[in-house]
Amino acid sequence: MSLFGTNTGFGSAGTGVFGTTTTDSHNPMKDVEVTSPPDDSISCLAFSPPTMPGNFLVGGSWANDVRCWEVQDNGQTVPKAQQMHTGPVLDVCWSDDGSKVFTASCDKTAKMWDLNSNQTIQIAQHEGPIKTIHWIKAPNYSCIMTGSWDKTLKFWDTRSPNPMMSLQMPERCYCADVVYPMAVVATAERGLIVYQLENQPSEFRRIDSPLKHQHRCVAIFKDKQSKPTGFALGSIEGRVAIHYINPPNPAKDNFTFKCHRSNGTNTATPQDIYAVNAISFHPVHGTLATVGSDGRFSFWDKDARTKLKTSEQLDQPITACCFNNNGNIFAYASSYDWSKGHEYYNPQKKNYIFLRNAAEELKPRNKK
Amino acid sequence: MAECDVEWELCKENIQPLKQGRTISALHQALCQQQEGNHTALNQKKQAFESELRMYDGDDPLDVWVRYIKWTKQTFPQGGKESNLSVLLERAVMLFTADKKYHNDVRYVELWIEFAEGCSDPMDVFRYMQAQGIGTMQAALYISWSEEHEKRGNLKMADRVFQDGVKCGAEPVDKLQVFHRALQARVCRQMMSSMTAQQRDDDDDEDEEPQRSSLAELKAKGKKKAVVPINRVNASAGYARGLQFKQPLGPKHNSRPVIFDENKVPESVPQEPKFEIWTAPPTARAKENEQKPEKWSNVKLPLKSRSGLSVAVPPPKPSFQPFVEEDDRPPAVTPCKINPAVNSVLSARKPCRLEQTPMKMLQERQQLMQTQTQEDGKSREQSMYCRDLVYSGATEFCFEELRAERYWQKHTRKLQTNSPEDSSTD
Repeated sequence: MSLFGTNTGFGSAGTGVFGTTTTDSHNPMKDVEVTSPPDDSISCLAFSPPTMPGNFLVGGSWANDVRCWEVQDNGQTVPKAQQMHTGPVLDVCWSDDGSKVFTASCDKTAKMWDLNSNQTIQIAQHEGPIKTIHWIKAPNYSCIMTGSWDKTLKFWDTRSPNPMMSLQMPERCYCADVVYPMAVVATAERGLIVYQLENQPSEFRRIDSPLKHQHRCVAIFKDKQSKPTGFALGSIEGRVAIHYINPPNPAKDNFTFKCHRSNGTNTATPQDIYAVNAISFHPVHGTLATVGSDGRFSFWDKDARTKLKTSEQLDQPITACCFNNNGNIFAYASSYDWSKGHEYYNPQKKNYIFLRNAAEELKPRNKK
Repeated sequence: MAECDVEWELCKENIQPLKQGRTISALHQALCQQQEGNHTALNQKKQAFESELRMYDGDDPLDVWVRYIKWTKQTFPQGGKESNLSVLLERAVMLFTADKKYHNDVRYVELWIEFAEGCSDPMDVFRYMQAQGIGTMQAALYISWSEEHEKRGNLKMADRVFQDGVKCGAEPVDKLQVFHRALQARVCRQMMSSMTAQQRDDDDDEDEEPQRSSLAELKAKGKKKAVVPINRVNASAGYARGLQFKQPLGPKHNSRPVIFDENKVPESVPQEPKFEIWTAPPTARAKENEQKPEKWSNVKLPLKSRSGLSVAVPPPKPSFQPFVEEDDRPPAVTPCKINPAVNSVLSARKPCRLEQTPMKMLQERQQLMQTQTQEDGKSREQSMYCRDLVYSGATEFCFEELRAERYWQKHTRKLQTNSPEDSSTD
């Protein structure tokens, strides 16, 4: 049985799978293309944790599937397995030991995928689509955290059909991130809540949004001692806020910066502002990558407050990104993010996942 | 259901009356749901409406809004912020101002009237409606407008409004006549009772004993002829609903210029080019429930400032001595010890968002909804996403929600037609 369904495969339909045209704008950065990408927009990407040897990438898409590839050291990607939901997949995450993958979907369920046996089992149920899923590994418990558009945040022990805990949120969950013992959830109507996860999850603080527009993505960063100390929050209008939880000097330490905008220097024409679709922090250097609707990715050093690099423009928005566990690989997905509604959706357009060597480009400016 | 009966009894006062009345079953259900804290069904229904607003592609979009608002009123009997009713009304009303076909649609006109009644100054809204030709052929407009005049004690204008309606040929004609006649009857009765009151030597049992009118401003007795001011934060919402019964419009307080404007109204209706050019309809719904926390330091006693006046400009000094209690003397200006720049709570509401003139406020909102470009004075920026879809209902949607809606629509359509799965067009 074909691993990844019937529509795509090596050399089927579509052009440019292996670079038939030289300066095709679908891959201006000439990065490695992942083979057998999903048939519809990619909503999320996640690399395997360090506990597992090798690099495995999972990606969820709007074609209701989750795919897993092995990324070999020579850059080759090998499709490994695939699972389906009954609705588009919105988020994926790995367990800390790398044996399980958790997937969250519009079908209001979350599933646990055991990679060894290639079996899935449903582990969570919500009243609305589940937008975020994260694995929490605490000294005294382990669980899954799911954030949904039904305005609840639920915690699940995978062995039980009922949630261990359910927290009510003021609005629908739009994005979340977890770095033990901290979790951040950004909701609709610019809500922002920080949770602390020690002993059991509880709401720690509600923060007034540093941004003026809809929240779109969030990522927690750590300090020099590898403790979570703040987060980066991206909005729908080309801006990212860096926010520390307990800074010595909030007015000076917290800041926002513009990104994913066009015509920077040319003031004659209006500046186009794009949504920031995802933010990822480099696991080693602490620098961050942002990807946007404009089809570019950028690397930033938040401590030096500088931009490290901006890519060329791809012909589609970049919808997801992530780093592998040692920070050598940066994966980003090129597909339509629905930023302009359904009129601009072309189901025939191919979707891509690219891999880039991230070892050098994300080194911070002031190397200590 | 027994608990719900009790529930209704217990919170009768909080249930806002509807002109068309409430169905008892809907009321029971709404109260039960609220008591149980059953938010999910509520949320789903709300989300369903929000999606329908964005996905609708028929030729009567007003219908979705009307149903949504109707459901909101039935489901949230106490009104309040959670229902988003005022937001919905405002959006619905603004969205179709340019759409001529709805101008005399009775549903649309009724939305406008409801919106007007929630505003701090319904007169403004009615005048705007008339200037724009919204509802000028509907009796409902004239009836509500005249009611407003009557509430303010301006019977002459109330009558004139009816005459205007008759002149325009507002439909339904007989309804207009019935209300007009009722008004005239009330006017007569009032004149009669005031005449007999003057002639009154002995006490008549018909005449009212000195009754205290509810929710009116208290008149002081005794030597100090001062009056307890009614306080509102920000002070521009002159009164809440319910205080409209007896408006002490006399020159005791800063006289409302609205009254004077009325008398300037020229005789003929509806073409009134002498009106100020309305670039946008007035706004300002009852703002006291929507207030974000802000500095109180600029608010001075008495607080009856003219509607639309920015709080930054202190209201003019009153002509009388404000009543001050002997023992407790609050300072006229509350010193602001917290530096708003540091405390993010107090600075959450930026100065430019303070009560502006209604028109300016509305222009901003219209721009947000309809145009793509944003003028922020410095550089022109253009958002490269579908703003209208994201912001169109009472709450915002994210791209994924929009897409998910379309996915479900397509999915259910496929299930209904039972066609095999094909990955073709949207």
